[in-house]
Amino acid sequence: MTDYYDELLAICGFEVEEIDRERPRIEKAFEKLELGDEDIKKAENWVRQNHDIDLVGVRKLLGVWLKELIDLVLAKDEGKRVVYYGFPTIAGPAAAIAAASDEIYCVCPDAVLCYTMGQIFNKLTPILEAGEENGLPPGHGLCSLQQIRVGGLAKGIIPVPDLVLTSSYYCDMGSKTDELLHERYGHPAVYADGSMDSRWGEFPNFLPERADFLGIQLEKVLSKATEVLGVEITKKARYEGASRSRGLFGAVRELVGLIKGAEGQPLSIVEVEVARRLTSGSTSRRFMTDGPQIIAILNQEVRERIDKDIVVVERDAPKVMILMAHFSDPSITRMIENMGLSIPVTVHTTLASRIMKKTPFISGEDLAKEQLERGPFHGSYGEIKRAAEAAQEFDVDGVIFNYIFNCRPIAMLSHLLKQFVQKETGIPVLSLEMDMYDSRTYNESALRIRVEAFAEMLRAKKNLL
Amino acid sequence: MRATEKLSAHLKNRLADLNRAREEGRKIICYTPGGYLPEELVLASGAIPICLIRGGDHSMVELAGSYICRWIDTFCRAQIGYGVSGEDPYYSILDLLVVPVTDNHIRAVMDVLDYHTDMDIFPFGVPHMKEKAALDYYLQGITRLKNRLEELTRNQITESRLREAILLCNRERDLLRKISLLRRSRQVPINSKEFVALNHGSFIADKGFMVEVLESVWEELEGLSPPVQEGPRILLTGSTLALGDSKILDMIKDSGGVVVIEEFAEGIRPYWEDVDLDGDPMAALANCYFMRRIPPAWFRPGRERLEFLIRLAKDFNVAGVIWYQLMYRESYKLESFYFPNMLRKETELSMLTVESDYEASESGPLRTRIEAFIEAIRE
Repeated sequence: MTDYYDELLAICGFEVEEIDRERPRIEKAFEKLELGDEDIKKAENWVRQNHDIDLVGVRKLLGVWLKELIDLVLAKDEGKRVVYYGFPTIAGPAAAIAAASDEIYCVCPDAVLCYTMGQIFNKLTPILEAGEENGLPPGHGLCSLQQIRVGGLAKGIIPVPDLVLTSSYYCDMGSKTDELLHERYGHPAVYADGSMDSRWGEFPNFLPERADFLGIQLEKVLSKATEVLGVEITKKARYEGASRSRGLFGAVRELVGLIKGAEGQPLSIVEVEVARRLTSGSTSRRFMTDGPQIIAILNQEVRERIDKDIVVVERDAPKVMILMAHFSDPSITRMIENMGLSIPVTVHTTLASRIMKKTPFISGEDLAKEQLERGPFHGSYGEIKRAAEAAQEFDVDGVIFNYIFNCRPIAMLSHLLKQFVQKETGIPVLSLEMDMYDSRTYNESALRIRVEAFAEMLRAKKNLL
Repeated sequence: MRATEKLSAHLKNRLADLNRAREEGRKIICYTPGGYLPEELVLASGAIPICLIRGGDHSMVELAGSYICRWIDTFCRAQIGYGVSGEDPYYSILDLLVVPVTDNHIRAVMDVLDYHTDMDIFPFGVPHMKEKAALDYYLQGITRLKNRLEELTRNQITESRLREAILLCNRERDLLRKISLLRRSRQVPINSKEFVALNHGSFIADKGFMVEVLESVWEELEGLSPPVQEGPRILLTGSTLALGDSKILDMIKDSGGVVVIEEFAEGIRPYWEDVDLDGDPMAALANCYFMRRIPPAWFRPGRERLEFLIRLAKDFNVAGVIWYQLMYRESYKLESFYFPNMLRKETELSMLTVESDYEASESGPLRTRIEAFIEAIRE
């Protein structure tokens, strides 16, 4: 027996037996998500248009996100204790909490909604609108990722969590949103605080007290989790969480390395980011255990493409680096590639592939030090410096700094990054304002003209015209 | 009031006085507002503290557009405008700009000025939670500042000099507090604009002089018996009430409202707590400025401030609350969503939220909304 959603699930890498087995869960989740026949048909087209479904790895990646969405929506009904963490976050504490008990489901719900209700179903608008009606109104530069979290809860799509781990060391918005939600739903929240008080040029050095403080805060998260969830986060759980994360980060690192070493671009950056975001979307076994295996399939397919000289963007196309791919709307990132620009890397991909190389999560302080060395959690200069280094490392012809207008730590770099990278590296930079989670205003057609002009300039520079 | 006239005259000559002081070898230490810089440290080092509190000018906000996108708080963008253009002369005479890093908006000011100007900038972090580790971090920050000031001024900040400065600053806070509390009466002896002017003056004036002015104001007001003020009593709160941003106060007054108490993160000096003179003065400074201070909205959670606002509303017997925030300061925007329910539940009072980007064109709608609110809460 087949149902209206079977074809979509097949496109997303589900096996037939899997669909049959999961049918009751799928239907229950789709009902909560208000996904009907028409939505599924639209989703089929959307996925075919925007994802490289010739690749099994890509199908399975979409599938693992979709399964995660179903797990998320049904988590409470299925007896899980639910813990939410924010984005961006320092991976570690959440992975350790998830590793401490299979009964705890630890996830970043807004990321999961973006990568499914956006990337697969193109149906985020009702959730965003619910977020706007419930405390985060439009027109005030409020974070749309947080609108998705608020909207998801307001619509009853995602469950009220048992605990929220709030990353308060980077942005102010995430923690204030969690506070707003706490006021409304009453669930406990633990804030891992920090202070971005490095001065310009200080990176990569930092004051020891900064790592001490952040380390204490990361440890506090685990203590609070033990108190609220009644599960001890043992040393073994920390190692286990770190080990799972390392497997995932390792697979992503390999993918980035393959693309870096290729002559042309064998895979759209859209799919690289769909893979990479597994590292921040959830700490579930599904992501941590299945994720590396799926990325391994993708990596093998990428190798084959490299061997067969298959590219997705014209071989001589100018190479650009972007900040990150759109979370929810793949058509925007695709548009940049369709303009004839090759995107071998994003700033954040290079950062993700750097971490987990050395220190396992032994203590909060170790983790804090590792994260401060990465750049973005250090300060503006650290983030910009890392971007400049990545642009040089990947030998790109240009940088599109597609900054998120409603994310203060990134938006504040709108001009600085361009000025610094151009001055330090001579690589031209287009500062492109956009919203990485909501494409209602900053949509493909609104952004196309600016990207087109930049692409023309880069092509002229490469004497390709 | 004669004392306030004296203050105005002093402020008029302040820049010239500061230039003279610089020629005599004294250092000018400017800092971003927010109430987290203990001025006592600057005074004890022999330097002169000046808070960069000017705002309200949209041309400076526009100018900042060449350096940063528009999604940063209006006041902070104005600071970038003042800083890069030199339009605020205090930016041009400073020897050190101290930035207590409170949130990402203030951090943006620091980073842009650091990159685009030659200012010597000293940041230290202000965590967002009242915990021991956060207090320790803040104390470490102001201790680094103490060392930097000693290095810059070549004066040692001795315990006795620090205690002397604490006494002076405590006196200033005490006088501001006493003057402010007079407004609990139905016979309000000082209007909000005058009180805010004293507050703003205290960020720029010579500290000893300011205390003298406040003493005189207190003496003048103590004996007064003004008539009962007609019109709804208002608690005015929000993110920043800058020097030069008087639009909101004028509109409330023109609409028949009487602001009897103000609570702002930036622009109103925190005067509710004094620094303890017992024990280690550095620890006492940290305790007062960080732990006991009513925190701004960028603390998480922000309940302490919201509960404080409710207490103020009751103590000052207000008829309504006006929440004045600047554009894109997200911490305030989010709290403004759920605070009205808390307020209504505890006090049955209504709240009006208004926003500004320092634009002239916003005056009309702003005035209409304020007039409607005042009418609605009028008994």
